[in-house]
Amino acid sequence: MATPFEELQASASKRWTELTTGENAWIRVGGGTSGQAVGADRVFDAFTVAVESSGAKARVSMVSALGLMYLEPMVDVLMPNGTRIYYGNVKPDEVEDIVDRHVKNGRPLLDRAFAYSGGDGSTTGDLQPLESMPMVALQQRIATRNFGDTDPLDLLQYIANGGYAALNRALTEMTPEQIVEEVKAAGLRGRGGAAFPAGLKWSFLAPSTAPVKYVLCNCEEGDPGAFNDKGIIENDPHTLVEGLIINGYATRSTHGYIFIRQGHEIPINAARKAIEAAYEAGLLGKNILGTDFSFEMEVSLTGDSYVAGEETALMEAIEGKRSTPRFKPPFPAAAGLWQKPTNINNVKTLAYVPELVRNGSAWFKSIGTETTSGTAIVCLSGHIKYPGMYEVPMGMTIRDVLEKIGGGVSEGERIKVLQAGGPLNGLLGEDAFDTMIDFDAMSAAGASIGSGGIIVGNETTNVVDLLRTLIAFNQFESCGKCFPCRLGNTHMLEILDRMCQNKARSADLSLLQRVGTSMKAGSLCGHGQLGFNPIASALKYFGAEIDASIAGELELGGVFSDGTMILPSRTRP
Amino acid sequence: MPDGTTFTIDGREVSAKPGQTILQAAMDHDIYIPYLCYYPKMKPVGSCRTCMVEVEANGRKMTVASCTTPPMANSTVATNTTQVQDLRRDVIELLMTEHPHGCLTCHRIELCGPQDICQRHVTVTDRCTICPKNERCELKDTVRMVELDLRTPLNYHRRNLPIHADDPFYDRDYNLCIVCSRCVRVCEEVRFDTALTLTSRSGVALVGTSHGTSLLESGCEFCGACVDVCPTGALTEREYKWEKAVTEVATVCTNCPVGCQMVAEVNKYGKVVRFKGDLAGAANNGQACMAGKFGYDYTNHGSRLKRPFIREDGILYKASWDEALARIKQGFSGRSPGEVAVITSPRGSNEDQYVAAKFARLVLETPNIDSALNSNSALLTRLAERLGSGGATNPIWDLENSKSLLVVSGNPTEEQNVLAVPAKKAVRQGAKMVVIDSRETELTRYAAVWLRPKLGSEAILIAGMARVVLDEALEDKQYVGSQVDNVDALKQSLWEFDLAKISRDTGIEESQIRRAARLFAQSGPGAILLGSDGLSSTSSELLADAAVDLAAITGNIGRVSGGIFPLYRGANTLGALDVGATPGEDGLGISAMIGAMVSGDVKAALVMADGVSGYSPTLTGLPAALENLDFLVVSAVFDSEITASADVVLPAATFAEQSSTVTNVERRVQLLRIVSQPRHEERTGWETVASIATAMGSDAFDYPSSAEVFAEIVEKLPAYAGLSHDRLKTGGIQRPVESTTQAGTPILFSDSKRHVPAISLNYNQLKSSVSAKRVTFAPGRVLSQPERDVVVRKLAEMNTIDREQLIQIHADDAKAAGLDEGSLIQVKSEDGHVLARGRAVFESPQTGLVGLTTLFGELATRMYDLETPDWSPLMPGLGFSQVTLERAPAEQGAGAAAD
Repeated sequence: MATPFEELQASASKRWTELTTGENAWIRVGGGTSGQAVGADRVFDAFTVAVESSGAKARVSMVSALGLMYLEPMVDVLMPNGTRIYYGNVKPDEVEDIVDRHVKNGRPLLDRAFAYSGGDGSTTGDLQPLESMPMVALQQRIATRNFGDTDPLDLLQYIANGGYAALNRALTEMTPEQIVEEVKAAGLRGRGGAAFPAGLKWSFLAPSTAPVKYVLCNCEEGDPGAFNDKGIIENDPHTLVEGLIINGYATRSTHGYIFIRQGHEIPINAARKAIEAAYEAGLLGKNILGTDFSFEMEVSLTGDSYVAGEETALMEAIEGKRSTPRFKPPFPAAAGLWQKPTNINNVKTLAYVPELVRNGSAWFKSIGTETTSGTAIVCLSGHIKYPGMYEVPMGMTIRDVLEKIGGGVSEGERIKVLQAGGPLNGLLGEDAFDTMIDFDAMSAAGASIGSGGIIVGNETTNVVDLLRTLIAFNQFESCGKCFPCRLGNTHMLEILDRMCQNKARSADLSLLQRVGTSMKAGSLCGHGQLGFNPIASALKYFGAEIDASIAGELELGGVFSDGTMILPSRTRP
Repeated sequence: MPDGTTFTIDGREVSAKPGQTILQAAMDHDIYIPYLCYYPKMKPVGSCRTCMVEVEANGRKMTVASCTTPPMANSTVATNTTQVQDLRRDVIELLMTEHPHGCLTCHRIELCGPQDICQRHVTVTDRCTICPKNERCELKDTVRMVELDLRTPLNYHRRNLPIHADDPFYDRDYNLCIVCSRCVRVCEEVRFDTALTLTSRSGVALVGTSHGTSLLESGCEFCGACVDVCPTGALTEREYKWEKAVTEVATVCTNCPVGCQMVAEVNKYGKVVRFKGDLAGAANNGQACMAGKFGYDYTNHGSRLKRPFIREDGILYKASWDEALARIKQGFSGRSPGEVAVITSPRGSNEDQYVAAKFARLVLETPNIDSALNSNSALLTRLAERLGSGGATNPIWDLENSKSLLVVSGNPTEEQNVLAVPAKKAVRQGAKMVVIDSRETELTRYAAVWLRPKLGSEAILIAGMARVVLDEALEDKQYVGSQVDNVDALKQSLWEFDLAKISRDTGIEESQIRRAARLFAQSGPGAILLGSDGLSSTSSELLADAAVDLAAITGNIGRVSGGIFPLYRGANTLGALDVGATPGEDGLGISAMIGAMVSGDVKAALVMADGVSGYSPTLTGLPAALENLDFLVVSAVFDSEITASADVVLPAATFAEQSSTVTNVERRVQLLRIVSQPRHEERTGWETVASIATAMGSDAFDYPSSAEVFAEIVEKLPAYAGLSHDRLKTGGIQRPVESTTQAGTPILFSDSKRHVPAISLNYNQLKSSVSAKRVTFAPGRVLSQPERDVVVRKLAEMNTIDREQLIQIHADDAKAAGLDEGSLIQVKSEDGHVLARGRAVFESPQTGLVGLTTLFGELATRMYDLETPDWSPLMPGLGFSQVTLERAPAEQGAGAAAD
């Protein structure tokens, strides 16, 4: 008799075969926030109408976004001959043409398409294969493996592509301890920014025999320039759900929460639908896949608060309180959510877990560098030619990411500054572009992978203005609980205000350093402890510019100087 | 210490108690670490970061907040390394950039005298003279302790917020706030009111009420806990706001039977300028209430009676004590025992009560003596008969660990405020509360089950719960088997208590009675808070019987966090009972006395009137009754409706001017200290009575001091054995006390050899006390009603609640009175006063019951506005009254309660 999972797999593979073979073409419109923002839903509607009215033999699906955001809205057409042709920046008024010529008559619009994959190459003319594009070729997609291929809300498509096999393997073939050991052996480090070994963290929770234990997934993701957590949830929520269930099993937990920042409706909706589907398929709830493991999961939302991404503040938020950090000890593994033993992991960390468990720790360990195995999911934005979300193996240099994948700066200019890993992490100058993407190498360079966001600034960027923008963000988002962070950020912002206007006092630099030092040593949580990082790294790479602003000789103007990126002021009551 | 952690602070080896943090351990060993957000008896929060210390353990050095970090065994803590000191200073330096600090920086600090006019070296908003807490500011002390260099290059910025001075009793000046959140936390985790909250975040984070409302609608109970914990001048009592104290004296509040230990701050003129809960107080754990915290200052009032007065031809003339005593001797002489009476003050100390009782017995030879607020004496005396003691069986703070609570016919959040604090805490920690009360009170909001039975049927309901406990075998079998006598008779008598019958007679559904019984019996240690509001003395006795039986079969007598707590009025009513200042079998109690005065049977009386008000619900007949007397002596603090018909008025000393003892509800004998000396010819109660007795020729009243009076009490009362004023100086002791070394009795019946007698209950007797079918007004009061909108208007610049009252009536009563739902009606008392006016809603659960829930904010405003200096005796309890319902006259809209 087939196991429950084999039954699921059978219907999944039937569904996938239906979609990808037979006489119907499959038109996939890349969705997600990145696609929707530039009209993917209108393109999708246009395809639906066009297919309907022209009588073309095709299915239209809204699928996950591939990550090449500069090409959104992106559409690909898989013809019954197995050839898949990709169109970028599709506008609704071209849709009829594509349906008519490509889908109905089998003649792809080669001048509009940018790549192809699969098939015998007979219909693709001079198009480049997708795999040969550097921004695809240089990627190694683990957490983002299904991007661009599957409908994120369709559980069967996920299963058809290997999904939940890891969970099945974990529940039927492995003990919780073996999974924890596996994660440890893989060298998986937390991707939320602190890079704490995930297996070790799990091993803190696993031995507790408390009747209720929680595993939380943190998708607060408030860093400007970071969108990979929400990207994973909206484009492939099941990889997270599966990862979190495995996390729950490995730590013998009873409940999981996916914690998403309020207002991001697409990922919130995707997570909720995925959980619902998983419950229906028996992948959540009582006796998962017929085993004696039971696990509940739900989505919880933050208010509008950056600090809610701090693990203990997040727990306060789930409990319905003001999201301010708690002091430690007690650590979450001893007394976390509702004072119960708790583990908390970032979305990306958990999204690796299914593939890690399916393929084994040795495989995962083989990717990346000695100290940081796996990949980095970087979000490129700012002054870059090809902004997008790319999963690259750890160890690639920043320069490769910027130039080979990102295509360098638009309009042939020079990259001057990078803001990597969120506003609590550092700025990098050109001297550091040969740094490997790797937790230790980055931190040695004075920055951090952090959440994976890289904001690129070209030569027009005024570093002092950029700093002011970052500190203004930090100041605005300080929860106000501990004195050094509440007041220190405020004073740093006031000093930077002066510096931006060439009104600095001679002692301001040392004052900044003094305030920064007390924030670092005195603050309750990372928000204050790391709050001086942008300034410290700016001093390292852009000392001359800072000196100029102290001397009152800063060249005013530049991208950040118009105040458009400055948040509303919340300096003092 | 066996289970403590041993570590080193600044080279000293110290040992921390389990659960202590580094800061707490350091404080225990008199090592100073500066702190601003931490406060004793509250959970640490770790926000001010001034308590940072360096910890070295396992070869690692860390800088941690000592208030939140538990010590590690064998670690080394350094509180004063250069690095730690610098960090501390830097943090406080940041803090001072938003706190006015002229008081620290002005070069004239050392030159100006306290009363000097400011020489204006500092901006007007920053001057030391404009801070109410100048020289008594915790922040200032801390800044000085860390030796902060105030020449900071950081920008100073005053917030320039308006001061909130439009709510009763205290001011909020958030320009001085340092956002330590102590006030928010004490309100939330100690008082459970959450009237205060942190607002906004980042640089503009502040404290306030949620949505910036007035305190009147925020759920504030004006207990003043936030004011007591504030380290700066942000929260201050409005009265004596600018006064500096020169001494602090620990004494006891005499407004209610909780007997909170308070710290009185006294200025150099001997005025009591502040009253705050004493953290060392065993009865109150640092807490107080509106009346205690803000109602103390009558003792300073200029309109106090300063010397004796004698009435001649209707006019009071000044007199000397000798003249007054001669007049009293004349007035009392030749009277038969039956025609004289003595009413003692509810605030009167044990010494006062004892001497008054001795005077009544020896000199007047009358049994007619009672404490003024002892009108529901049946409850206390019945409990004394059943349990050998009229007080609570357990300590008040035992309640915080109770797992179930039964509150009957009482409103402890107002009448015995601090007693309700641990009860509320227990509920917040998961205890189940059952409230049996027709009125909506604050505790009904905490109740898992709130039963509103027919008035007078409370005892049946409790007996019904006992029946369910026995039926469902939920009793504590081991306890019942070994420590309860007479159980079979009780069981036998409960046969008559058929639940269907009970349900019919109480108006409560059977399922609810069952649920209440199960919750009470099954949750764990359960305490009964037993009141007798609105009940006759027979009903009160029956109620006490039923409650003791229920407590006995559930094993809650003698059990930690169980027990029975009588909810009576009058701070020292229990002391009066102890020392015999209550009527014997043939004497008249207070209610009977008033009747006898009206009928002319009692012709002369001595009234000790401190804390006695003719407006108290139980004493409304007293002023008129006193008018009827031939001869009346009143010892009073103020001229009042009680002194209005007195022939001799004697000036009484207040609680602040005496060294004497009071006995609180948990039987704790506590010592009042002399806070300020009487300034004129005021005498304490016992001095007054003793001088009258001596003047009347007795030689048994020659006491050199109150300590000698107490010694005589101790000699006569076995329960007070071994007590003395000297011994009580180190803290109150719960009687019975056996010897000078025995530490008292926190829990009665804790000795398993002592048996509790159950008593059989008689259904018909219980049923006969259910009140006849009359319409009864049972007003309720809560702290906040988030479900209803409240409008706050400014009246003479003060906030006032203005909202329509909703009067809950039963459809049957409405029909009888010809009223429709939604119409404007008024509730009229038997003597024709309109007690309430509002819109009728058919929400009353019983026919004959008229409910109305008002807000505590309305009461607070009213009390604050009173011109009477001693306003706490005037606080209207939630009394019951017989009323009629009628349509409100058309021209009068729905307004506030008209009482």
